[in-house]
Amino acid sequence: MASPGGQGGGALSTRGGGGARRMKWALELSVGNTRSRSDRQGGQGDVVYPIGYSEKPVPDTSIQETDKNLVEKRCWDVALGPLKQIPMNLFIMYMSGNTISIFPIMMVCMMAWRPIQALMSMSATFKLLESSSQQWLQGLVYLIGNLLGAALAIYKCQSMGLLPTHSSDWLAFIEPPQRMEIMGGGMVL
Amino acid sequence: MAKLILLLLNWIFLCCNVAAVFEDQVGKFDWRQQYVGKVRFSHFDSHMQSSKKVLLASESNVFAALNTRTGELFWRHVDKTGPEGNIDALLQHGQDAVLVIGNGHLLRSWDIGVGGMNWEMVLDPGSFRSACLVGHQGAVKHLAVLKKTVISLHYLSNGHQKWVENLPESETVDFQAVYSGGNGEVYALGVVPNSHLAIVVYSLEDGEITKQVSVEAPWLSSIPASCSVISRGLLTCVDSTTMSLYTLDLHLQLEMTQIPLQALLASFATAGEKTVVAVMAPKNKTACSINLFSAETGRRLLETTLIFTVDPNGGKPEKLHVQAFLKKDDSVGYRVMVQTEDHTLTFIQQPGRVMWTREEALSDVVTMEMVDLPLTGAQAELEGEFGKKADGLMSMVMKRLSSQLIMLQAWIAHLWKLFYDARKPRSQVKNDVSIENLSRDEFNLQKMMVLVTASGKLFGIDSKTGDILWKHYLENIPLNAAFKLMVQRTTAHFPHPPQCTLLIKDKDTGLATLHVFNPIFGRRSQVTPPALPQPILQSLLLPLMDQDYAKVLLLVDDQYKVSAFPSTKNVLQQLQETASSIFFYLADSGQGRLSGYRLRTDLSTEQVWEVVIPTETQKIVSIKGKRSNEHVHSQGRVMGDRSVLYKYLNPNLLAVVTESTDLHQERSFIGILLIDGVTGRIIHEAVQRKARGPVHVVHSENWVVYEYWSTKSRRNEFSVIELYEGMDLYNSTVFSSLDRPHAPQVLQQSYIFPSSISTMEATLTEKGITSRHLLVGLPSGGILSLPKMFLDPRRPEVISEQSREENLIPYAPELIIRTEWFINYNQTVSRVRGIYTAPSGLESTCLVVAYGLDIYHTRVYPSKQFDVLKDDYDYMLISSVLFALFFATMISKRLAEVKLLNRAWR
Repeated sequence: MASPGGQGGGALSTRGGGGARRMKWALELSVGNTRSRSDRQGGQGDVVYPIGYSEKPVPDTSIQETDKNLVEKRCWDVALGPLKQIPMNLFIMYMSGNTISIFPIMMVCMMAWRPIQALMSMSATFKLLESSSQQWLQGLVYLIGNLLGAALAIYKCQSMGLLPTHSSDWLAFIEPPQRMEIMGGGMVL
Repeated sequence: MAKLILLLLNWIFLCCNVAAVFEDQVGKFDWRQQYVGKVRFSHFDSHMQSSKKVLLASESNVFAALNTRTGELFWRHVDKTGPEGNIDALLQHGQDAVLVIGNGHLLRSWDIGVGGMNWEMVLDPGSFRSACLVGHQGAVKHLAVLKKTVISLHYLSNGHQKWVENLPESETVDFQAVYSGGNGEVYALGVVPNSHLAIVVYSLEDGEITKQVSVEAPWLSSIPASCSVISRGLLTCVDSTTMSLYTLDLHLQLEMTQIPLQALLASFATAGEKTVVAVMAPKNKTACSINLFSAETGRRLLETTLIFTVDPNGGKPEKLHVQAFLKKDDSVGYRVMVQTEDHTLTFIQQPGRVMWTREEALSDVVTMEMVDLPLTGAQAELEGEFGKKADGLMSMVMKRLSSQLIMLQAWIAHLWKLFYDARKPRSQVKNDVSIENLSRDEFNLQKMMVLVTASGKLFGIDSKTGDILWKHYLENIPLNAAFKLMVQRTTAHFPHPPQCTLLIKDKDTGLATLHVFNPIFGRRSQVTPPALPQPILQSLLLPLMDQDYAKVLLLVDDQYKVSAFPSTKNVLQQLQETASSIFFYLADSGQGRLSGYRLRTDLSTEQVWEVVIPTETQKIVSIKGKRSNEHVHSQGRVMGDRSVLYKYLNPNLLAVVTESTDLHQERSFIGILLIDGVTGRIIHEAVQRKARGPVHVVHSENWVVYEYWSTKSRRNEFSVIELYEGMDLYNSTVFSSLDRPHAPQVLQQSYIFPSSISTMEATLTEKGITSRHLLVGLPSGGILSLPKMFLDPRRPEVISEQSREENLIPYAPELIIRTEWFINYNQTVSRVRGIYTAPSGLESTCLVVAYGLDIYHTRVYPSKQFDVLKDDYDYMLISSVLFALFFATMISKRLAEVKLLNRAWR
């Protein structure tokens, strides 16, 4: 958005010039405000608007329809994101195999962590989806997608044998049984 | 998850499967003490003036040379045990020492300088009587051996026989000694008890009898017991009943002359031309005086008195070994080695300075225990604070402050000592351990070893250094006594002193006595042991405690009545309450009876079960229960499919080993019975046909390992039995033998072992998490640490995915001995009779003591030192890296701050 006041000035800019060399000082030869000031005070100063100029933008009703559709589409994209990742995850799972080594473990950790992270930041996602009319449906789809992702990760852990589902995993916690009888003796001395 | 852990464990196992010590670890935590045994003969090497050797031949068939300055061994030869290796005589001439071995079976000559053998001769059969060196014209070239009926002459240089002659009248006269004076004649001395002395003189050249005389000696019954031939043919005899000394000149053969004495012990020695006799006489209760007499005249030599202080914790003097030498002024000086009843050797110099002592009783350890050392003063103070009852807030605060002050004081003293020691060179830093400053170290690696020896002497040895901290000699111990040592109270109950009880049973009479003592100081305890008028069959240490935290000891007498020690009211009440759950078993090998008893509330017993093993076919050799201080961490084994096979952990299980009485190699067998000691139920029975003992058994956790000799294949075999409950536990909270409906699954496998073994024991750790190893004492003197993993009946013949998952080693019939499994590297332990294992405060570490003729102590780490940093851990590198990183972080943080500030200003 160009400032209306800065139109006439062929100013030597000290700001915004990304690669421009910095000057210690600069002389503005044009009459009028420096650009930097006009940036801040633009629109209220002594610039006189032409007749018929409105400060508020005129709503463009023709575009709004397609825009809404766009938002909806974007929201669906967000909501379906986790579901779309599932085939990819399945492929990675298949490729990484069931052996326990550093890379499959890293994969599994990533796979498990991403849905969990997404579920934790659910409220932020909802805010994103606020503009959509099918907000709740999208939210639900998003949730289901993430849960599926998490389930997939758990399944992977299970097939890798990382879940404590067997009795052997709880073996270390079994206390030795208490002895009921006291017994001793030996060969006759 | 379990898979992950398994993978990790596997990795650890593969990475560090080396059990041997590193070169720089040698002697760091292990020590060995070598002994000789009860000395039978001794000979001071006098052929060189500067020689400092004494040759010893002992009743344990050991021949050794000691350094007379320090008492250390120069060399030692251990012969066969039993009568085969029995040393009959020891003779020394110059560099050669000649031994007669095995009742006159062998003649061996040794070089005393290096201890190497010169030659060995097999002699004709015949009961050996005596031997002597034969000299002629100043040179000793021959050796005479007297047997019951013959006398033979051998060359000293190669042992070949020169001549052999029969003895005249050998039916009536008992020839007992032989002597040669260096004049070409050999004298055979015989005795007709309580009548006369017969002397037969042979010619050196051809063995002709030149003279035959008899001398009246009615008091004489045995020559070796009381007589000795000293220089120039003077036979000198000591008559203990009349306390007199008789002398007889063998060349003149006149009457015996009598010299009265007042003596306890006497010993002859020669220095140059002079022969002296050292006579020990009691001075007072705690000291004896030794005087030197001239053997020719019987006069006492001046300034030769030597005082020997009798150790109050030792025995009475038994034998004197005198080393006489000529001083520069031609007078006779001497040193004396006193042998006491408790087999101690004390080497004394004039005027009574003890140069060294050797505790030869330790060569025959019968049983031992390891006791935790007490806490330090500061720790004990803290314990005491919490042990006592609370008496007001203020006094508690004061107590706490004072105890903390004491701790601070101890800490400062410790720091000061560290600083002080650090300045001294390492070799000078002595770890002076004495009873006063004994305290437990932080990992409880240092313990007190309490050893009971066959001679009746008890020892307390510091396990870290091997120093003898206390000794106590129990007098009047019968020759064939059975000992049982029990720890009634450990050091954990601070104000009460620890307490050990030794049960000593005379096997002839069956009567037993109790010796109650403090294992840290060796002192007899104030507790008076009960008098035991009845013969005692067995004892039983209960886990019950009296109000003073002493475990209750039950003694079973021959009427099957039980008496308790201590027997206070409290104890009796507790016994009445728990009587129904107290069982005991007795095995009588002679009658082949194995019976179980239950305690009644009135301390009488009733027989619950009985198993009779017919004595005609087999006899009970040993019974092994489980050790009471054993912990099993894992209740089961993880299978390849991640299910659990639960172990059958019956604390009442007994492994009974029987051997067949028929020793024919086709018919001999050994049997293993697994019996529940409470119900008498036979859990498992295995018979190994064509096998013979000796059987060595280890019984622990859910397995029994035994070793036997297979007569069929002529090899040693190991067999292992493991018991499992199955895939589910019957009762996971309590174990009662009376409620066990299902029989366990039994798995068994056998292996070939390339060596015979002397003894076997399993390692033991605090919590039982560490994997188990078997410690096998080999006759070669090595102690092998054999992982239990190799003795596992689940080892598969065909490898499958699941067995690989379980880390099972594929079955191979041979068990190989890997040299790195020897825990004692080159520190050979001769004649290992037993191995004792004790847990330390570190889960990874097990303390091991092997005893036999030698004593060896070390630590073993069956699963490596997973809870300790390595010895060569680079503290410097790690700490310097840490510090460098820390400073780098600090500096970069500061730099980043400066940079941010600069940017903000722009």
